[in-house]
Amino acid sequence: MFSKLAFRNVKRQIGNYLIYFITVSLTVALMFAVNSAIFSRELMEKASAIQELRAGLIALTVFVSLIVAFVLGYATSFMLKLRKREFGTYLTLGMTRKNILSVFLLESSILCLASLGTGLLLGLMFYQGLMAIVSNLMEIDFFFSAYSLNGLLLTVGLVCLVFVLSSFTSAVYLKRVSIYNLIHGDKKVEKKVRFPMVWLAVTILSLIAVVGACVVFSAEVEKTMKNGGSGLDMLICFVVLAVGIVLFHVGAAKSIVHLLLKNRRFKNRGTNTFTLRQLSGKLSPNAVMAGALAFLLAFAIIGANVSFVQKVSNREILDKGYPFDISAELERGKDAVGFDEAEKIIEKYATIDKKIAYSVYTSDDNYLHSFTQWSGEGYDGLTDTFMTESEFNALYGALGYAPIELEGGFKIIDNDARMDKFDFSAAVLQLSGGPYFYKGRESGYPSLGYYYFLAVIPDEAAAGLTVSYDGAAYDLKEETYDARALREELTYEYTTQNGYTYLKCDYRIREYSRMEQNANTAVFIIAALYISAVFVFMAMAILALKTLSGISEDRRRYEILYRLGASKKEQSRTLLKQIFAFFFLPFALPMLLSIPSGLICAQIMRLGGYASVVSEVLCVAGGIALVITAVYVLYFSATYLVAKRSVVRE
Amino acid sequence: MVIGIRKKGGCRGFPAAHEMKTILEVKNVTKYYGGGSVVTKALDGISLTVEKGEFVAIMGASGSGKSTLLNVISTIDRVSSGEILVEGKNVCNMKEDDLSAFRRDKLGFVFQEYNLLDTLTIGENISLPLNLKRVPEDETRKALKRVSEALGVADQLNKFPAELSGGQRQRAACARAIITSPALVLADEPTGALDSKNSKILMKTFELMNESLGSTILAVTHDAVVGSYAGRVLFLKDGKIWNELVRGDRDRREMYAEILSVTAALGGDADVF
Repeated sequence: MFSKLAFRNVKRQIGNYLIYFITVSLTVALMFAVNSAIFSRELMEKASAIQELRAGLIALTVFVSLIVAFVLGYATSFMLKLRKREFGTYLTLGMTRKNILSVFLLESSILCLASLGTGLLLGLMFYQGLMAIVSNLMEIDFFFSAYSLNGLLLTVGLVCLVFVLSSFTSAVYLKRVSIYNLIHGDKKVEKKVRFPMVWLAVTILSLIAVVGACVVFSAEVEKTMKNGGSGLDMLICFVVLAVGIVLFHVGAAKSIVHLLLKNRRFKNRGTNTFTLRQLSGKLSPNAVMAGALAFLLAFAIIGANVSFVQKVSNREILDKGYPFDISAELERGKDAVGFDEAEKIIEKYATIDKKIAYSVYTSDDNYLHSFTQWSGEGYDGLTDTFMTESEFNALYGALGYAPIELEGGFKIIDNDARMDKFDFSAAVLQLSGGPYFYKGRESGYPSLGYYYFLAVIPDEAAAGLTVSYDGAAYDLKEETYDARALREELTYEYTTQNGYTYLKCDYRIREYSRMEQNANTAVFIIAALYISAVFVFMAMAILALKTLSGISEDRRRYEILYRLGASKKEQSRTLLKQIFAFFFLPFALPMLLSIPSGLICAQIMRLGGYASVVSEVLCVAGGIALVITAVYVLYFSATYLVAKRSVVRE
Repeated sequence: MVIGIRKKGGCRGFPAAHEMKTILEVKNVTKYYGGGSVVTKALDGISLTVEKGEFVAIMGASGSGKSTLLNVISTIDRVSSGEILVEGKNVCNMKEDDLSAFRRDKLGFVFQEYNLLDTLTIGENISLPLNLKRVPEDETRKALKRVSEALGVADQLNKFPAELSGGQRQRAACARAIITSPALVLADEPTGALDSKNSKILMKTFELMNESLGSTILAVTHDAVVGSYAGRVLFLKDGKIWNELVRGDRDRREMYAEILSVTAALGGDADVF
């Protein structure tokens, strides 16, 4: 009998549960797609990052599930409260609490199974879609991926966990609530907000904290990237930002309506009082929820921005770090795969088009480093590095750079924003044929070795210097080849002075690096987008469910407005304002945060020496904001239209 | 069968002849519900007029058509045939937007369940019709003061409906109904949710609205006590006006007795004193 009742209830409540059902199904589909990707054998072969990050990715999907459980628990509890009277009636008719609990849990299970089934079916498609995105991010051909049993089991397990957790609070409530409260609990007494001015102060202070956190974060980024740092201040900024976002929304929800109600002229215009009171009844009790949603949305936006910045910067990082198809600087006297042997191996995979050989010299002292922060304690053994003018020009000339002009002195070449603050003007090099005076600093040359900077000196000055590294750069005829296998062949076992042995490859292979970077970026972007999408879904679902669950009350209130002479247009406008304000509150600030997060990402790129991608980073930030706004508007419009059809009387 | 005779010179709930101006004219109104093979005739060619300053009660058994009559007069429902004129204007031909403006400007409503908005304070509830009319703030404030003092709710303006008794809520609803000085106040079972003490207080309020504030009232009721306060009572049966009772110079007790006797003849179930 209870199962029949539960089925009937679900059928009857289908309108209320529809958005809930759609959201859960979409979340399950996303969860299944991501979980399948984590265990995808095909993906693992192409992206070792997946294997390395598997534990982290599983932790991430469990974390996301816990957030989903919390949000759905909240949604379930207010859906339950909508049906208080119904459950109260069951109790008065002689059903026991255990019976009611069974009906409720049965209803939840039906929903769970339906959402799980639909979600898994959708997930089958989402998974292939996800693979298409992944292969696009990895810049490889799309591959159809087999479904994994592990992914399926993980999804089913997590969905069951989500439903158990989300039903728990409602079950506890049903077990404890009195019959009187169930039957008369919907008679709400409008509560006045206490201390609205205090909440206004909280709102203003939180806004200041949010702006301050962004400004300080930006300054800290600059400081850390130029001078180095622990990043603790940035972490503090992030915490302040998170707390500020939550408190801003709690404060705003409890104070703005009160303030507007104080403005008599505004209040007495048309249905403004009605709208404000409607909002007051919805915003104030949901203030913490608005704060939490805003936090989720802000996190989603910032996460998406950061992940795409990584993708945008990849190409630039590749050009800077790997200007030649293959290059190497081999330390003299150390075990390594020599150039002759390497060339034979390379020729097995691709044709060498051009080779440029060069030498890197050392003076065996750290004179030039003494002008920087990288000298003294902790920097023992760090020596200055030099290249001759002719070899430098030959090497970088091949990349299209103009020949460097030394004007009879020497120049510092670097790729590090931290170098801006060091003054080399007093530096004089006492080398063969010298002295050589400092003639300036130049940045923007791709780096081929592992040093903070190098000095380019006239050829004759190198006469007394020691060659520390033999370098070679190769251009290949082919753009794509089996770089993974080539790297494997160029790798050898290296034993350190301490007796540790590890695999080492001295050759910087552009194609291999591109593949690795793309795989890492793909994993990072997918993880960030997954969290962002789930957070946006959750936020939208809560707002829509909250709005639609109040429809019966709204219908009664709008009926009164209609009788008092509010036209259909006026009712529609009032409802639009009401729903828009409710949707807009937790959305506006996170969306505005797109601006500082985009600017900070651009700043990181600029400081990292990738100034050319700054505009692209800003475009990506704008694009993300637009996409989330579009999804949000879509959800808002759907909610408004459903509410309008049911509430506005013609 | 007409029991009372309308007298010249004016009496309780009825204006003097020289003051007479027709506010409401219902002409041969018919209303059908349903469709296909199941059609219910709720109103069957009803005609009536209400003069300015009158207090008219409509009584009848359940299903007699009194609520339907109120709904079509209040433009909440449409007639199947016939005409309804308020201050000479036919409301049956009006477009939706005009009807909204008409309800807002010409009608005031008092409902059985008060229909105060629970999220608004009493002051905001009473002012709402003026806000909808976009009346300037200072005028709204003056009007609010006037009606709330007249109906004894001036000290409750900052409270929410849930903080008031049923009687206070209904008086607040009355204040809202008359704040725009409407041509006609329509009341639907106004005492339906009140106890006898609060019912009497409300009817005194109606009397005050009618006699001192000049409101024209048309109330639908089951309650013979409510009817006894009216200047004229129309009895409906099967969608038709079956009888009309005019109070004239009779006092309320006599009127009440008359209503009971008509109700008995009607076979109805009016509430007793």
